[in-house]
Amino acid sequence: MMLMENLRLALSSIKSNKMRSLLTMLGIIIGIASVIAIMTVGNSLSAELTESMSSLGAKDLNISVVNRPVDIETDDLFGDVVYVYDEDVEYKRPTDDDYFTTEILEEYSNAFPDDVVAISVNEQVGNGETKQDNKHANLSVIGGNYGFLFSQRFKLLQGRYFTDGEMSEASKVCIVSDIVVENMFDGDMDKAIGSAINVAVNGKEYTFYITGVYEYEQDTFAFTNSDKRKDINTIVYIPIRTAKAITHSSSVYQYFSVILSMESDVDAMTENTRKFFNDGYYAYNEDFCVDVYSMAGMMESLNEMMGTLTLGISVIAGIALLVGGIGVMNIMMVSITERTREIGTRKALGATNASIRAQFIIEAIVICIIGGIIGMALGIGLGMILTKVVGTPAKASLSSVLISIGFSTAIGVFFGYYPANKAAKLDPIVALRYE
Amino acid sequence: MGEEKKKIIEMRDIVKRFYIGTPNELEVLCGIDLDVYEGEFLAIVGASGSGKSTLMNIIGSLDRATEGSYILDGIDVSKAKDEELSGIRNKKIGFVFQTYNLIAKTNAIKNVEMPLMYGGVAQKQRNQRAKELLELVGMGDRIHHLPEELSGGQKQRVAIARAMANDPAIILADEPTGALDSKTGRIVMDLFHKLHEEQGKTIVLITHSPELAEECQRIITIKDGLIVGEREGGAAV
Ligand SMILES: Nc1ncnc2c1ncn2[C@@H]1O[C@H](COP(=O)(O)OP(=O)(O)OP(=O)(O)O)[C@@H](O)[C@H]1O
Ligand SMILES: [Mg+2]
Repeated sequence: MMLMENLRLALSSIKSNKMRSLLTMLGIIIGIASVIAIMTVGNSLSAELTESMSSLGAKDLNISVVNRPVDIETDDLFGDVVYVYDEDVEYKRPTDDDYFTTEILEEYSNAFPDDVVAISVNEQVGNGETKQDNKHANLSVIGGNYGFLFSQRFKLLQGRYFTDGEMSEASKVCIVSDIVVENMFDGDMDKAIGSAINVAVNGKEYTFYITGVYEYEQDTFAFTNSDKRKDINTIVYIPIRTAKAITHSSSVYQYFSVILSMESDVDAMTENTRKFFNDGYYAYNEDFCVDVYSMAGMMESLNEMMGTLTLGISVIAGIALLVGGIGVMNIMMVSITERTREIGTRKALGATNASIRAQFIIEAIVICIIGGIIGMALGIGLGMILTKVVGTPAKASLSSVLISIGFSTAIGVFFGYYPANKAAKLDPIVALRYE
Repeated sequence: MGEEKKKIIEMRDIVKRFYIGTPNELEVLCGIDLDVYEGEFLAIVGASGSGKSTLMNIIGSLDRATEGSYILDGIDVSKAKDEELSGIRNKKIGFVFQTYNLIAKTNAIKNVEMPLMYGGVAQKQRNQRAKELLELVGMGDRIHHLPEELSGGQKQRVAIARAMANDPAIILADEPTGALDSKTGRIVMDLFHKLHEEQGKTIVLITHSPELAEECQRIITIKDGLIVGEREGGAAV
């Protein structure tokens, strides 16, 4: 009963002081808007991150031969190892002697039997296309070992992987995407399996027999190379030796990846791998050494960076809310002073201290909630713009609505209580005599 | 003043002191004895600063006496706690101020409803009652006007309707015509007569106008915090 009356009073008092009320709300608006904006961005970004963690193989280590740095530093913020190079020096290019050999990789994999599930190596042949009677598909040819095929984590729709024989004999076999099948075989996978396709790459033409078809999946973070599905450039997988034969390169690798077991500790293995190579085979190589990085490490860094950013913005939001709350308190004090006679009159008409207190606390809460709602709208809008920029779908949640209303109510109660109590305790005579 | 009449106010030896700094205490009321009977129309007159408003505030339970006993409509006000006082003000007293004291940005009917709201009357009934009261004071066609849209006399009539809201035992009016010209003052004064005669309201009126005081049933004169004179007015029965 009194609540409706108090709400009506609060709204009319805010309405009659629009500009003042808006300025008072500003702190609340900014505070709530930034809280909601980071929540929106943070939520959608971390949802996106966790999703791609699994699909991108977060537990893979990537190991490459690099020039020996002048110094190795540990990044203060994230604890990452950073290789430092002298910008003025022209570094040597590695030769076959500096690269990883099959034997070294085998030895490495044997050294960590519990951690290493597979070693992945590949050889990029290049971008090309296949054509046949008006039919056409864009391709890029990559040779890989079993580990590489596994690390790609694609779904085989039809057919099979390469046999050991095909792998070791550098057979002319391939696994193509469903897009290639759609373009070249009208989507008939049964017909595609066992058929030959002619692939033109680097100005030469090669014939491969299709053993399997995998499902093409759009990578969330990667750019699509075409809007039209039929024009998308998809990978054709061939055995690593087949690829090496085509590129005329020797059986050494500048980089490889390791697929770690589920139980393996990525950070420890990163360090162990670095040690294994740099203290072993590369200890006496003056010009080159080995660097290791992992998607998990990058993700972690990204997450930590986001955490720091979120904390920073939260602190700013907190300060804004605090300042906003003090602003509300201040304006309530002003309002109560202005309305001293009104308070006296109300008491003369029978208002109890409690009802006067309720009236002014509700007014403070209404100011804060209006500020909170405006802030929430701005925050969701800002969050949507930001997520659009980052390229992840916006996830505005019910919790942000609850947080805005909850926060602003709490601020209203907290900062409204003191002035309201002051009003409630006014002596009616003093209040009525107030000039 | 027949003996059969009920006493609404019974004040004995009321003293009011103000403390302005420790050694200086100001005795504004120096022992007032006052009885007011049901249905009486009483005027209080006296020079400025004599203590009329101070007495009125004590009668209205807005303020407490420093010493003495005060019984209002059977309730011992001198012993009442703060929360009880607001109940007494709400139910027993109807205030009319010189400066109207209507609540700003709140229309006439909401102003009249206010004592009913604090009294816990439901919205529908208080709306009904407020309308009737505004009709009674001749403001039936202005119920949705805001105070700033009303003339002084109109404001005072709304204030009188508001004072009547909870059908109080007594109406206290401290210089209700003080801010009005004589013609408008007349309308307000006529309204008090109407409430007194038609509704049998007990009314206590402070005024500086001898003519208006003369219209009342009984006139009390205060000087330096003491009642120094008491006589019957023109309207005495
Ligand atoms: N809160 C207070 N503190 C100190 N002195 C006060 C206070 N209230 C009133 N007084 C003093 O009490 C005396 C009586 O004041 P009061 O308002 O009762 O006079 P009044 O008879 O109503 O005068 P007027 O006709 O001018 O309204 C005055 O001298 C005034 O200064
Ligand atoms: Mg006075």
